[in-house]
Amino acid sequence: MTRKHRIGVMFSTTGSYRVVARSMLNGALLAFGEIAQSGAAVVLEPVVVNPSGDLDRYRELSRELLKAGIRHVVGCYTSSSRKEVIPCFEKHDGLLWYPSHYEGFESSDNVIYTGASPNQHVLPLVDYLASRVGKRAFCVGSNYIWAWENNRIFREALTARGGVVVAERYLSVGDTEFDQVISAILDQRPDFVFNNLIGTSAYAFFRAFRAACRAREIDQAAEIPVASCTLSEPELAEIGLDAIDGHLTSSVYFSSLDSPENATFVQAYAEAFPDMPAACADAEASYVAVKLLAAALEQADADDARSVRAAVANQRLAAPQGEVRIDPQTFHAWLTPRIGRSAVNGQFDVLLEARSPIAPDPYLVQSSPRFAVAMRSPVLRVVHS
Amino acid sequence: MTFRLLQNFKGGRALIVTRRCGWEGTLETTLAKLGVSSEYPDIVNGRAQIDAASLQAERDILFVDGDLEGVVAIEVNPASHLPPAPVIGLVGVEAPGRLKALVNLGATAFLRKPVHGGAVYASLFMGINQFLLRHQMYERLQDLEERRRGRRALVRAIILLMQSGLDEDGAYSQLRRESMRARQSLELYCEELLNRRAKAAESSSQTTSVKLQDVNKRAM
Repeated sequence: MTRKHRIGVMFSTTGSYRVVARSMLNGALLAFGEIAQSGAAVVLEPVVVNPSGDLDRYRELSRELLKAGIRHVVGCYTSSSRKEVIPCFEKHDGLLWYPSHYEGFESSDNVIYTGASPNQHVLPLVDYLASRVGKRAFCVGSNYIWAWENNRIFREALTARGGVVVAERYLSVGDTEFDQVISAILDQRPDFVFNNLIGTSAYAFFRAFRAACRAREIDQAAEIPVASCTLSEPELAEIGLDAIDGHLTSSVYFSSLDSPENATFVQAYAEAFPDMPAACADAEASYVAVKLLAAALEQADADDARSVRAAVANQRLAAPQGEVRIDPQTFHAWLTPRIGRSAVNGQFDVLLEARSPIAPDPYLVQSSPRFAVAMRSPVLRVVHS
Repeated sequence: MTFRLLQNFKGGRALIVTRRCGWEGTLETTLAKLGVSSEYPDIVNGRAQIDAASLQAERDILFVDGDLEGVVAIEVNPASHLPPAPVIGLVGVEAPGRLKALVNLGATAFLRKPVHGGAVYASLFMGINQFLLRHQMYERLQDLEERRRGRRALVRAIILLMQSGLDEDGAYSQLRRESMRARQSLELYCEELLNRRAKAAESSSQTTSVKLQDVNKRAM
């Protein structure tokens, strides 16, 4: 007997981070399509909503979906939107399937976290940067919890490896005025920039920074590379050819991965969305979330949060990135960290990858110092003699 | 003096003092995610069976159900009001008397019953770090108290040096310089200086009396 479930799909396909959200929506829709064609015991009907990046709309739409009897919603990209809707999911006892990498330090019983935890994105990046690029970092980010917390984790990990963060700068989400920040970076001449800007702010920064370096005859990619935990292939296209190459990214998926599962996924994605940018980490993440949700619904006796949580624990999936499974203690995913560098063809060359999936450690219990690293005194310089 | 926040609780042991009735499952599973194991001491005749001497402040955290009156009998340091390990109060009935009992036990954070998973990390973070902060402040207070007591020795030492011709500032500077050279606090150095002088004065008066005896002997 087939069981039918309506599934909420909530991504901001308009607004400042629309490029990422469209990829996420596409990945989810591709999975829904494949499940429908596979003749699985569950039939999933997506109910797509768009909060347009407005936090109030996230809350309202979550409430509407859950009040309409929907129990599972795949959605959210930013941490601020996830934190905004969690109380609603807890009140109505629904499950939010959150497909994005995030900064950790959370474990709501009403969220299944299928994206990367900080030990799967920022810590491998710190290792790579400290050992191969340099130890002086300049941090830029969008002014909200993702950048604040990811920079904190980054700073502590880099400091523990003998590095130093020379400065941190935050800009509002959507802000594209970077002259002051770029002049501060060029003044400090760090070994690299750690970027936690999202959406249009990030694209504008990459372009402006490359142009400013070029004007000073600095080979930006070689001398002051920019490293991120968010940058994906469709975003490279948004940055544009002038500044597309040489950016480092830590991610659990790149569309250039060489595996039969990925080849099938990339081809299916391209066929399903021929006029859209190619597959990327965000698309794969929501694709994986929907596949795991379907598998759990198929296994569970009922579709309530408790039954589906129990069914998703230890669920394994041969995903495009490799095996993905859900950790039964934290309800975060085992994923395979990788470091890539963008090339002129709009793809990432994979520089390093873990041999097998890594356990999630959302509270960095296994990988952070017992005591918080004290901030170093700022390096002062004479401004008036 | 900077305070170092404890942020990773891995290896911790929670002693959860409550009557088990289901809600504590959320507390236990959330603590496990934070690397903290849980134990439930038996409650015999209304008293939790906890060996206070075996409690280790660096490892143990006591979660005490405020609704179980007098369930934990541990000695709180009378001066610092600190228990031997951090205490987090589990609050059901918000009666002032019950909250007071938890504060008297040295609780540095509260957690509402039934426990909500999302509140555990904040409560643990607060409870342990407030305990460590109060511990550090108490040590600092003791240190300052000791130095306060030593100020009398400093004043006396200054007067002593002034008697040998130095002015007040000069006497103070000399004592400070010499205490730094001896790698002692100013107060301790002054105390020892006064002791040395007192002993020297004593032994010189003993020597004088010996001589007198000699004189007497000779006179005899």
